[in-house]
Amino acid sequence: MEKLCAALNPQFPCREAAITTLGELIGDCNEAYPPAIYLFGHSGTGKTALTKSFLQQCQKQQNVHIAQLNAIECYSTKIMIENVLDALGMQQQTAENMLEFVEQLRSWHERDPRCGFLIAIDNAERLRDMDANVLPVLLRLQQLTSLNLCVLLLSQLPFEKYYNKTGLSEIITLHLGQYNKAETLRILSTDFDQVRQQLLLLQQQQQDAQRLAICEKALTPDFYSNYLNLFLSVFYKACRDVPELRLTARKCFGIYMDPVLDGSVECTDVSRLWRHIAGPLRAALTQIYMRIEKPLGETEIEDQSVRKLAQSLELPYYGKYLLIAAFLASHNSAKQDKRLFVKNHGKQRKRMQTVNARAKNAEKMSTTLGPKSFSIDRLLAIFYAILDEKVGLTCNLLSQISTLVHLKLLGFVSGEQNIMDGSAKLQCTVGLEFVLYIGKVVGFNVRQYLCDFM
Amino acid sequence: MDPTISVSKGCFVFKNGATRSNKKTPTKRKRSGQESEATSSLLGKEVTSQPFYAAYTECWSQLQSHIVQLQTESNARTLQQLVEFVTEGGERVGVGECSRFATTTEILPTAALLTGINQPDHLKQFETLTQRLHELQAARVCVLQSRDCATLKAAVESMVYNLIEALSAGTADTQLDDEDERDRDRKRLRRSQCTLKQLNSWYANNFGAAAMKRALVVILPDFECFNASVLQDFILILSAQCGRLPFVLVLGVATAMTAVHSTLPYHVSSKIKLRVFQTQPAPTGLNELLDKVLLSPKYAFHLSGKAFKFLTHIFLYYDFSIHGFIQGFKYCLMEHYFAGNAFALCTNYSQALGRIKQLTHDDVETIRRLPSFRPYVEQINDCKRIIAVLTDDDYLKKKLPQLLRDCLLHFMLFRCSLEFFTELVGDLPRCPLGKLRRELYVNCLNKPITQQPEYKECWQMLSFMSKDEFSAKVSKAIASTEQFLSEQVVPLELGEACADVMRKELQSLKTLLNDVELATMELQPQASDSTSLADARPLADLKQVASRQQLKEQLLQRSKQDRQQSISEYARALNKILDHIETHLVLAHLRPLQNAPPLHELYVFSDISTVRRNIIGAPRAALHTALNNPHFYMQCKCCELQDQSQLVSTMPDLSVVYKLHLECGRMINLFDWLQAFRSVLRAGEEQDELEPAQEQIDPQVQARFTRAVAELQFLGYIKMSKRKTDHATRLTW
Repeated sequence: MEKLCAALNPQFPCREAAITTLGELIGDCNEAYPPAIYLFGHSGTGKTALTKSFLQQCQKQQNVHIAQLNAIECYSTKIMIENVLDALGMQQQTAENMLEFVEQLRSWHERDPRCGFLIAIDNAERLRDMDANVLPVLLRLQQLTSLNLCVLLLSQLPFEKYYNKTGLSEIITLHLGQYNKAETLRILSTDFDQVRQQLLLLQQQQQDAQRLAICEKALTPDFYSNYLNLFLSVFYKACRDVPELRLTARKCFGIYMDPVLDGSVECTDVSRLWRHIAGPLRAALTQIYMRIEKPLGETEIEDQSVRKLAQSLELPYYGKYLLIAAFLASHNSAKQDKRLFVKNHGKQRKRMQTVNARAKNAEKMSTTLGPKSFSIDRLLAIFYAILDEKVGLTCNLLSQISTLVHLKLLGFVSGEQNIMDGSAKLQCTVGLEFVLYIGKVVGFNVRQYLCDFM
Repeated sequence: MDPTISVSKGCFVFKNGATRSNKKTPTKRKRSGQESEATSSLLGKEVTSQPFYAAYTECWSQLQSHIVQLQTESNARTLQQLVEFVTEGGERVGVGECSRFATTTEILPTAALLTGINQPDHLKQFETLTQRLHELQAARVCVLQSRDCATLKAAVESMVYNLIEALSAGTADTQLDDEDERDRDRKRLRRSQCTLKQLNSWYANNFGAAAMKRALVVILPDFECFNASVLQDFILILSAQCGRLPFVLVLGVATAMTAVHSTLPYHVSSKIKLRVFQTQPAPTGLNELLDKVLLSPKYAFHLSGKAFKFLTHIFLYYDFSIHGFIQGFKYCLMEHYFAGNAFALCTNYSQALGRIKQLTHDDVETIRRLPSFRPYVEQINDCKRIIAVLTDDDYLKKKLPQLLRDCLLHFMLFRCSLEFFTELVGDLPRCPLGKLRRELYVNCLNKPITQQPEYKECWQMLSFMSKDEFSAKVSKAIASTEQFLSEQVVPLELGEACADVMRKELQSLKTLLNDVELATMELQPQASDSTSLADARPLADLKQVASRQQLKEQLLQRSKQDRQQSISEYARALNKILDHIETHLVLAHLRPLQNAPPLHELYVFSDISTVRRNIIGAPRAALHTALNNPHFYMQCKCCELQDQSQLVSTMPDLSVVYKLHLECGRMINLFDWLQAFRSVLRAGEEQDELEPAQEQIDPQVQARFTRAVAELQFLGYIKMSKRKTDHATRLTW
């Protein structure tokens, strides 16, 4: 067990406690394993990586068969069983269901009763949605097969979320907490060697002796941890996911190093370096989690505003009008249609009651309440009402509706199956601002036709 | 082949029996061979042997190859980038395996291709990508459509199946043992066996050696149509497998990147490494296509302004589908040539000369019947020659080459002048005549352009320009026209003749432009005659209007006279050159279609109504016509109608029921409807046995009625109401 921990500890800084616990539980295959262990913690806390290395070390050092699988891949029980049997080294056997699976494992017992089995299942919360017997069987697999076997379940949820009516047997839970700032710093600084190598390699490729010299001189662990301190001061509030931070840190380090390599800034002059890096860091902060990789040379940051989006969206002319019509249909009540779209709709009598009602509903504007559903007939009627020119009701026009649905600008609310009898209801899924810009492009004032703004 | 005689109008598909057997026998016949076989079996010998068919196929194949070439050129850059990305991605994964960092291996390289909203069009683009990758032997590709991926299971299965099975036939590997391996794989594989495990072992078998590493590319051409949860799981699976299998994901995004971000939550998007590629937007693609192919002087076939506008209208207003546009254009082409063998003359000049000899009497008659033939005959003032042209085929055939030559030359000159004109008026403020070549083309062909107010506005703007601006503009226009001449026109047959005419014009323009440049801004008291004449005419017309307006006019006139008196040398030179452009280029060459030389119908397709009827489906209108006036389709004697709303008992029951239901409101009482139906039927029969039928409804009539109503319901016009008994709801308005 000590050997195990010694091998793993340098790989996983700040996880010594968890490794020790795991080692105590399943570190020795000659001792009896617990039936099941539940590892949980947020994403990026090292559950999968830790378990993977741990199992690999176990396999290397002891007589243990291991299986690692991801529950998402197992869209049917059969595939899961096959994967487990495969990984445990029983390719020939096939098992159709849980019963056969248990039988297969049992038969193993007769052959080699002393070896251990470790099965790790990632994204274990998916097991809840599989066949009802899967999770209970896995939790009691040791008991059922009478092997020295342990099932490790990895998930982001606490185990309380698994309880169901039939109840589950007890399980040992192990929580991997989120790293605090100091720990994050320590983990990120383990990258130092690699980053250094990478940078040196890059300079060597460019064959710039001066830069290479500076690079060799400036790149010290202190320098790097200084950088990481700056980096975390910006990012730690927004993101605690270590892999994400590691990725961004590496991306930004190149920019941080640039002035040093040029020789314009001394590598000890932290404040000037900070002034230099603050802008790019803030820009990177808006891009975090997006994982958009820009090819070299194109560094302009994408403008995510609605206006840009609406202008860049290429829709055919009638497609735009259909979208506007859909928005109007979604955000006006059908009662108001006559008033809005028919030329001589008659005079509306102003009664005290309606005035009061409207005043009260000021905060309940239909544009803020969200879209209501409408039928295709109504959509077309409004479309024809707002369009000045006369257009035939052709296939091309009708197929535009389905195009808009495909683009997720409209969505079916109900009756997707029976479009033919006219009971299908649609909904417009774009916002007011977006439609206002679309309207501006085609020269149509959308506000004028919205009840809320009358 | 069975004859297609049927009462209903429709589209008949004849499956070409050869395709299936061809697949089984691995003979490597060329595609073109198959195609020609297919078309010949469809049309029959009697059509394909005609000269017009030969002319058509030649013209179309030229056009098509040009279009394909253009499209590959314009997509080349994005495609190249994508291919690089994919191969790079494959390599990167290979490297990633070596490095110890587990986190990097689980990240799936992903390319997002912003394609534009017409999704079906872009399938072709992805096909080209697939082909390219297969040629490079860099990757195995699987195109996964959303319709195959309703569930995660289906998605994974079809992905594995496509990667292993479907494409192995397409890529013939050189290594024999490899192929054997694959054959064995294929025999074993059933759909339900397509799991990732299978894929893993297949990959290890076939590409296990490090030297043969290939990326596995999964293309999702219609990203928006995917079920979000399926897609998330699918990406998670791929990224989990990334360490073992070098997957590369390509997403075809129709709207914008926000769609990707809103579909994929963080725990999924953290597993991918996204690179965005932008393809050419569809309208740009269309403009390029129009400028380079349809408006190229290379082809004898032209679309009339209206037809041209019609096709671009479908594109811009309805669907943004370039493929659809090309098909529409092809339809016009077919329609044009199918009109008769006389239209076989619509080729280049030398070939047309050969074809003139083959013309039969009927073909010559077709030519005589062309609308533009009449003005030609009328302008001949020799009586004998008129008779000869109208009756003697040989005489006309002798005359034809000159006529055709005039026509062809006219279109070339038109095109050259259009080039000049586009440069001249295309970038004026607010673009009154349109800024693109296609808009100007339509404008010039449709109406005499000099009479349009927009044209006058343009001319006014040109005359208000500063000297530097104006001369720069005109010289740029001259330069671009010259370039156009030397690059596109001269290599063509008759090109020299056209270029000669055009160069002469340009030369005189240059001298005039020189005058403009040399002219000073000094005032000169003399007014030029041409402008004063042009101005005087509209003023004379306007004298008769109301008094206040009259006053205004007179004031205007006075101010104009003032201006004319104080006209500068520069202004005069400017007017001169503008007049010259107008008379020698615009009026001479940019003539509308009705003023085109005789026999231009042979080259210009303008039968827009047929095309509209045939390529724009209007199912609602067609159904209405069929039910409202069955005579239109049935051509029977019994139900001819004088008036659209007339009800005749001899019409089919369905039609009667339909017409009755048109008179109702939203809810239809079935009993009233039946009564009306009965009375319509009875009106047709003899009135004598009216009395006994009053109380009792004939069961036969009732049965017919029920059946007709059921048919109407089947067609989707009504629905039986659940709220009100014995009522039907109308579903149309």
